[in-house]
Amino acid sequence: MSKAAAGPMAEMEGVVTVVQEGRFQLTDLGGVSHNFMLSRFALAETEQLPALQNAQSRVRVKYSQADKLIAYLAHRIDLLDVA
Amino acid sequence: MEIHPFARAREYPDSVFHDVIPNESELTGGVTIEPGKQYGFFTDTTVCIGCKSCEVACKEWNNLPADDIGLTGQSYDNTGALSANTWRHVNFIEKKQALADDTAERPARGVRDNDQNAFQSGWLMMSDVCKHCHHAPCMESCPTGALFKTEFDTVVVQQDICNGCGYCVSACPFGVVALNPLDGKAHKCTLCYDRLKGGLEPACAKACPTESIQFGELSDLWERAATRVEDLHARGVTSAYTYGTPDAPGATGDMKYLNSFFLLTDRPEAYNLPAAPTRPSNRVAPAFAAGLSTIAGLALAAAVLFAGAKTTRD
Repeated sequence: MSKAAAGPMAEMEGVVTVVQEGRFQLTDLGGVSHNFMLSRFALAETEQLPALQNAQSRVRVKYSQADKLIAYLAHRIDLLDVA
Repeated sequence: MEIHPFARAREYPDSVFHDVIPNESELTGGVTIEPGKQYGFFTDTTVCIGCKSCEVACKEWNNLPADDIGLTGQSYDNTGALSANTWRHVNFIEKKQALADDTAERPARGVRDNDQNAFQSGWLMMSDVCKHCHHAPCMESCPTGALFKTEFDTVVVQQDICNGCGYCVSACPFGVVALNPLDGKAHKCTLCYDRLKGGLEPACAKACPTESIQFGELSDLWERAATRVEDLHARGVTSAYTYGTPDAPGATGDMKYLNSFFLLTDRPEAYNLPAAPTRPSNRVAPAFAAGLSTIAGLALAAAVLFAGAKTTRD
């Protein structure tokens, strides 16, 4: 797990295991699942998420804590398993 | 067509399944889900116990985060209201106990006619949800076509097309649709569109332990609701009625009917439902005509005034 220290742009690595609309669950390398929501300014689109889940790709997510939600706000998703 | 759930349950004697059961809704809801038919919810509030299984199931399946963290101060209600992240909400309505000085002009609001102690006063519970209106105002107001009717006659927001304008939010007569400022999109119950496509009944209906939320074909649900109302009337609960079935309260103002309808025992307002919802699109033509009439009237008045002024100068 590469969960960085708390800050405006922390990072986490893992596998996208559940996708619903713009929300997804990232299971980190320690097996713990976290809820994410795509930010309106994210460098990714809603329709790109199911492909990540289907491929079970390893990704790195840059995120911040969502205000008044038990979820993180994803700002950027980078693929780590690019062949 | 209704199928008795036990009819197919014998096909699966094991308690552990390694694959998805084909047409699982036949076992859990007694209904076969087929595209082209109309489906919806019948929520019988008289058997709701306020357990919030529906809220949990909805959040779990749809991966919706918990919001509005903290104590609301509203008795047992911790989600507060329907929102972009809460698509099922159980209303807890505490009714005033009957008092000795209640009169015919000012009747008691209690559920029973006796004097109840405060801690035993009557409670109404209702699991609120998107009504999936037959004439959906949110869909009519959407400028991008993000809201659409599915093959199951339900209303869904396509997230990749929604531009977050919020017209649907103000158009909804029930205050169901909400914008999420974090992702800039409109959100509401999808009646578990993805589950319906896979032959599964919606998560909330499957999780409901008292069958307060029933999922099925609309025609079947209307029959069930009518039978239930008759039954309740026969038992002395004469206040029971349906909200959202054709020609009933909730289906006013050209709404025709609601795919998610309710059985209530008090005024709609007691459940935070509008007594007579209407389609905002029906007000567009009169509003436009009123605007045009105003412009024409002002132009006529200006012409008369200028003509009068010119005559005076001459």
